[in-house]
Amino acid sequence: MPRAPLPEFSSSVRLKYVKLGYQHLVDNFVTFLSIPVMVAVGLELVRRGPQEIVGLWRALELDVIHILCSVFVIIFVATVYFMSRPRPVYLVEYACFKPPSNCRVPFSTFMEHTRLINSDEKSVQFQMRILERSGLGEETCLPPANHYIPPHPTMEASRAEAQLVIFSAIDDLIRKTGLKPKDIDILVVNCSLFSPTPSLSAMIINKYKLRSNIRSFNLSGMGCSAGLISIDLARDLLQVHPGSNALVISTEIITPNFYAGNQRAMLLPNCLFRMGAAAILLSNRRRDAGRAKYRLVHVVRTHKGADDRAYRCVYEEEDAEGHTGISLSKDLMAIAGEALKSNITTIGPLVLPMSEQLLFFLTLVARKLINPKRKPYIPDFKKAFEHLCIHAGGRAVIDELQKNLELSAEHVEASRMTLHRFGNTSSSSLWYELNYIESKGRMRRGDRVWQIGFGSGFKCNSAVWKCMRTVKTPIDGPWSECIHRYPVHIPEVVKL
Amino acid sequence: MDLLWTISTILLLCSLLSILWKGFDRRRNRSCYLLDFVCYKPSDDRKLSSELCSDIIVRNKRLSVPDYKFLLKVVVNSGISEDTYGPRSIIEGREECPTHDDCVDEVDDCMYRTLDELFLRTSISPIDVDVLVVNVSMFAPSPSLTSRIVNRYRMREDVKNFSLAGMGCSASPIAIDLVNNIFKTRKRTLAVVVTSESIAPNWYYGTDKSMMLGNCLFRSGGCSFMLTNDPSLKHRAKMSLKCLVRAHIGANDDAYSCAIQKEDDEGRVGFHLSKSLPKAAVRAFAENLQRLAPKVLPVGELALYVLRGFRHRLWRSKEAKTDAATAAMVNFKSGVDHFCLHTGGAAVIDAVGRALGLTKYDVEPARMTLHRWGNTSASSLWYVLGYMEAKKRLRRKDRVLMLSFGAGFKCNSCLWEVLRDLNDGGAWEDCIRAYPPQTLVNPFMEKFGWVKEA
Repeated sequence: MPRAPLPEFSSSVRLKYVKLGYQHLVDNFVTFLSIPVMVAVGLELVRRGPQEIVGLWRALELDVIHILCSVFVIIFVATVYFMSRPRPVYLVEYACFKPPSNCRVPFSTFMEHTRLINSDEKSVQFQMRILERSGLGEETCLPPANHYIPPHPTMEASRAEAQLVIFSAIDDLIRKTGLKPKDIDILVVNCSLFSPTPSLSAMIINKYKLRSNIRSFNLSGMGCSAGLISIDLARDLLQVHPGSNALVISTEIITPNFYAGNQRAMLLPNCLFRMGAAAILLSNRRRDAGRAKYRLVHVVRTHKGADDRAYRCVYEEEDAEGHTGISLSKDLMAIAGEALKSNITTIGPLVLPMSEQLLFFLTLVARKLINPKRKPYIPDFKKAFEHLCIHAGGRAVIDELQKNLELSAEHVEASRMTLHRFGNTSSSSLWYELNYIESKGRMRRGDRVWQIGFGSGFKCNSAVWKCMRTVKTPIDGPWSECIHRYPVHIPEVVKL
Repeated sequence: MDLLWTISTILLLCSLLSILWKGFDRRRNRSCYLLDFVCYKPSDDRKLSSELCSDIIVRNKRLSVPDYKFLLKVVVNSGISEDTYGPRSIIEGREECPTHDDCVDEVDDCMYRTLDELFLRTSISPIDVDVLVVNVSMFAPSPSLTSRIVNRYRMREDVKNFSLAGMGCSASPIAIDLVNNIFKTRKRTLAVVVTSESIAPNWYYGTDKSMMLGNCLFRSGGCSFMLTNDPSLKHRAKMSLKCLVRAHIGANDDAYSCAIQKEDDEGRVGFHLSKSLPKAAVRAFAENLQRLAPKVLPVGELALYVLRGFRHRLWRSKEAKTDAATAAMVNFKSGVDHFCLHTGGAAVIDAVGRALGLTKYDVEPARMTLHRWGNTSASSLWYVLGYMEAKKRLRRKDRVLMLSFGAGFKCNSCLWEVLRDLNDGGAWEDCIRAYPPQTLVNPFMEKFGWVKEA
């Protein structure tokens, strides 16, 4: 997204109030319009006097039939209106996996293992440099199989990791909500890089003895933005089935994906990806509206796969020695920016206040008709959302987005701190970030949250939630033991 | 009194209105039409004859002579012909170490060939596709297979794509369920579904017998089909979806572990099929039929079933043996004209046929599909449908039931109604005249007849 410096005149204080007045006027246009109308009607009523009004009413000569018909029409219109509104989708509660401390991989452990596994000194140095600048902390965790030298990526170990992370998250969710497993109607699981047969959804159905008529779906290969794809699917299913709830599991299984080669572009995931999982309970039942935390407002999905550059920027392939790994191209930041731009173009009209949209539209018209060289207006998304959760893909992604959207340090704090404490947990990172904001006591009723996920393909997916009740601290979650230490200052380079 | 009359009329009108609305709501956005389907026909250089199969088996030096005998016996008795297809990497000798490119090429060939033909036949441009679903159970690369298709055909940015994996041989009805649910939330939507299986990365080269069956039965195949809920395309559609039932008995531990991908004792990954699989299949089947029967059978048949049940209970002591069997049987043929059964194996087809009271004519499409194409996993239902269409069996207003089983353990079914007389040859075009063949016996039976000895 192009960075447009704000025009000179808005630095003037007087014009700041003009801008404020303009915003209030446009946002509340209908109210402003109705005031003179109401005043006129009120004056007329006062002028006529009460007896005249009663006389007018009598003169209408309303018959029973007339009353019946008008009541019928009113009820019909009201019914049509209420029935045709989409069912609200509530997020009742969610739980994130809290990794045990014996899975921790401090920098020293990681480097020691890397030196012992990898014989190529250049690759070791490269990984060290990546780790120094990664923005990760010393408490991120890898699954038990990756602690072996060399790592032990068997299918059994992968399933064990899946069971550990997923079942812990679900148990936590059940404890918090009192959810009965037999009550779950829809199950959506997304895990990009591990898809055994039977699927992880079948594994969950087996462990928790879910019903035989459950609607389960297992999404795979969809990358780090798959969490929002699952939410989108669950939402569509909840629109069709009234009185249902949906369990969405977002995770990434690290065990089978250790890259054992020396190709630099493929070594990055080893350094950044860490263990994590999230279990989310969605519902469209009216009785859950009272206890729900959030309401889903929008989900917007953008797929840039038609563009070859975007398609190839996160690509699984084999290196010259036959080791399979995920190669990240140098264009990743630029492509992420473009994908976000496309996504914003769709989500903007849905969430931005009228004043911002009008300004954007007018600037666009001015650019097209009057002066093509005029800088485009970047809508101020800070006006539309109180909190932002940007996928903690890596430090560079967060830096780039902060620049593009002109965000303050507080807006991206949740993303940076999640990257520091948990690493890149792929699709579940958005939920760790949301939990951070809640743990800090910043989530108030009425606040709007924007979750942005990026993933291979190249996809950019957004979800907008509205908070339904103020979340009181302290909360029980993955941040409960360390939230008091955050935020921490993360230096540019951590010398190893 | 007048007021009372008024209020009661209003209440009556309100209730009438709500009933009408519920009825109206139920009918709109309910349609799901199958515009067309294209089954994958690999090139002839990928044919796996019994001779070639035996060569491949013999390449595995870890096997002993009894193991060879066992495998050859399975191949020869499987009901699979000499014309089924396998992946190139296995034929060329790379079955133990397929490269990532081998696996990707195998799936790409299937997806792109079928999609090219599908878009050509329906004259619909890829840019008009709103929903894209791919299901390949045992291979999920990054970027996903749906992303590969979006890239190749330059689809729109807002296409809703879903990549299902790990859902086994009954994934076709699951993909249809997903699309059907999305159809109910949006108008005039076009969906493309690709279903296939990946064999190259999943060849088992160990010595565990329970894992070797997969090698003998699974063959390359796939299908792409297009669905829509746009009523203006109804005149071009082949079939309309009537109902869909999914039953998952994974809550039972035996059912969950009877068909599972895992490592053998030596650490090699294979697909384990246990001896309790038939039992799990029966349970899942019963579970599915219980929910399917009321939706599919005419009221008369359901009433008869209830009456038979009463009679059986009342006269249980007298006519225990004979009536027990008949009392349990519901005549599905009263509500269904054609049966697309998953070609899991000759035994599976026969067992399901018996349970549903089907004749040889009814199970012929499934047996012939197993013969011509082998077990192509989730796409087998579409080859069976293709056979019926090529044989000109599908007439307007006929009802077709698709029934499949899969790991987990699941049994999924869906009922279609044929909208017009169908007569495309499809993938069966060049060989339909030779079906049904005089004999299904493997021509190499004599050569490998020695396997039958002890």
